[in-house]
Amino acid sequence: MASLLDASKPRINCSMLSQHIGRGVCFVGRVEKVHPTGKTFSVSDGEGKSATVELNEPLEEELSGIVEVIGMVSSKGVITTTTYNILREDKGIPFDLELYNEALKVIHDFPQHYPFEVAASG
Amino acid sequence: MTKLSEGTIEALSNGTGVNDAVLQLVNIRKLDGGNGPSRFRVMMSDGRHTLSSFMLSTQLNHMAEENILAPNCICNLKRHVTNILKDGRRVVIILEIDVIKPAKDVAGRIGDPTPYTEGQSKGPQSAPVPENRPPLQPQNRNEAVNRGLNRDFGKKAPSVMPNTPGGSSKVVPIASLNPYQSKWTIRARVTNKSSIRTWSNSRGDGKLFSMEIVDESGEIRVTGFNQEVDKFYSLIEAGKVYYISKGSLKLANKQYTSVKNDYEMTLNGESTIIPCEDSCDVPMVQCDFVSIGDLENRDKDAIVDVIGVCKSVDDISRLTTKSNREVSKRTLSLMDMSGKVVTVTLWGEEAEKFDGSSQPVVAIKGAKLSDFGGRSLSASFSSTLMINPDIPEAYKLRGWYDKEGHAMDGQSLTEVKGGSGGGNTNWKSLSDVKTEHLGHGDKADYYTCVATIVFLRKENCLYQACPSQDCNKKVVDQQNGMFRCEKCDKEFPNFKHRLILSANIADYGDNQWVTCFQESAEAILGQNAAYLGQLKDSNEAAFDEVFQHANFNTFVFRNRVKLETYNDESRIKATVMDVKPVDHKEYSKRLILNIRKLAANH
Repeated sequence: MASLLDASKPRINCSMLSQHIGRGVCFVGRVEKVHPTGKTFSVSDGEGKSATVELNEPLEEELSGIVEVIGMVSSKGVITTTTYNILREDKGIPFDLELYNEALKVIHDFPQHYPFEVAASG
Repeated sequence: MTKLSEGTIEALSNGTGVNDAVLQLVNIRKLDGGNGPSRFRVMMSDGRHTLSSFMLSTQLNHMAEENILAPNCICNLKRHVTNILKDGRRVVIILEIDVIKPAKDVAGRIGDPTPYTEGQSKGPQSAPVPENRPPLQPQNRNEAVNRGLNRDFGKKAPSVMPNTPGGSSKVVPIASLNPYQSKWTIRARVTNKSSIRTWSNSRGDGKLFSMEIVDESGEIRVTGFNQEVDKFYSLIEAGKVYYISKGSLKLANKQYTSVKNDYEMTLNGESTIIPCEDSCDVPMVQCDFVSIGDLENRDKDAIVDVIGVCKSVDDISRLTTKSNREVSKRTLSLMDMSGKVVTVTLWGEEAEKFDGSSQPVVAIKGAKLSDFGGRSLSASFSSTLMINPDIPEAYKLRGWYDKEGHAMDGQSLTEVKGGSGGGNTNWKSLSDVKTEHLGHGDKADYYTCVATIVFLRKENCLYQACPSQDCNKKVVDQQNGMFRCEKCDKEFPNFKHRLILSANIADYGDNQWVTCFQESAEAILGQNAAYLGQLKDSNEAAFDEVFQHANFNTFVFRNRVKLETYNDESRIKATVMDVKPVDHKEYSKRLILNIRKLAANH
């Protein structure tokens, strides 16, 4: 899946999942429930809606708080993870998910001002 | 011999006083008003009777002080008003009086007047007024009474003298309270009770609480200290009516309250507070609402009463105060029929409990007006917050809002453009500063921007300054180990290092050369001037590194720009007044808001 990381990965929230099926995305949300197998967990976005995230290998660490997931959206609207980051809440300024969501809406409402597409061959 | 208008005294005492009466001044006595102006008490005679309850209105004090009004002179009482106390006593206030024959031209007392006694027998009054008949400050109170009547929201027709409770004590109106009478009882509703506050200073410890009470005639602030806190605090409930007697009155400190009374009351060892059962005709609250549109005309720090519809409310935020206490804060926008909107800040429990859903009518008594963001309001610990109060103003607002107000955008008196601290935050980009020609006018212009440091001039950033506490003037090196300060006109064996840092800051659109003085330079460099001064001489590499490290950092700058002319050449000079780290949340919010605004105006 290395090519996924080369292409552009627009930041999205739950309401945009259906428009990005089969594409690479970047999803930031709050960890809700982790499945006992550790291979899947749910996240909620700044609007309160939930999405499911799947991992290739089970989690090796405790996952909580805000996480940034880079992966692909499956036909069922599930994000298959390529990589993820935890945005630690115990350091610095706490992440404001609602504000992030507002910024996200701006980026999608004015794509002409936010040209994030990277040339595939680049 | 000049004829006095006989019968005047009797007429005045019966309330049928006439103007232009000729009377003889028998005696005049000065009474010290404590903090206020002196008052003069006068005894007048109409040849038949004397009456000692005349008071000179303060604007005529000079006539007494210059001895124009002196015993035995004959006067024409041109204008007066009469005030009646609850106990039937009458006071005649002299508003205008002419001396038609000066005292020196009058031999003695005309006729053989006797003191006029009214219904209740008081016994003869002696010429020097006895201490237990102190005078009043009637003029102010008259107005307070009228104001109280106009603002009364009570259900019954307001009367100056409330019904006596059927007990033995007679009740007087709050508007008549003054420092010179101690034996009174009032019946009032508590509109606002503060929490107990304690203090501890070099003189000892203490505690106090305060409350505001209202009756048909007006309102007054009451404070209880130490023992009175123990005695009364738990007994008193806001909203309930009590009989209160024998508090001490003194001139009010208007700075802290919007309560309309020249006096305020302190409870003492003799004060009593008794609950009153029959309270329906005591009004709930006394408010003198200011229209939101009018707030622009009021001075900052004024204490006002406002009422409006809560158009919107923000989420609670929590701040830590300088004393490391956590406090909750919430802002709401209030709109009234003027079409103007103002931001109101609530604190603590009020902020937490506030429910702005369904756009309630909100009234605040004693809110503090500030010039933050233009004009904004804050509910302090002494303000009273009322949601959907049961008063006519509230119903009017509700009706108006439901019909038209809800559709209006309203014009806000409070700039929403980010609030980092007090004052008007005037956000500009560096290109705006140039295109808008800021600084080109007569006065300097101030603006705030987010910018990145792209260059720091480390040469000549330090100078040798006078070591005196408040003097920062550059000293002249006398080359003999001494340094001379021209301003202090002294020589010193040392100096202190001070910074003047020239920097270039830039944003996406433009750049700007600015000068940073001590505080802002130290903030940018992350080191103090004294240390840097030493470092420059001792370790140049380390000194350079400080500047490397400081370069390319982004800050919020508050700058001052002004056009300065040197020898026919005019140049814009920009000085950094303040430097702060970027509050990314605030910045993001502001950017999003501006983007949406731009899009909406398309």
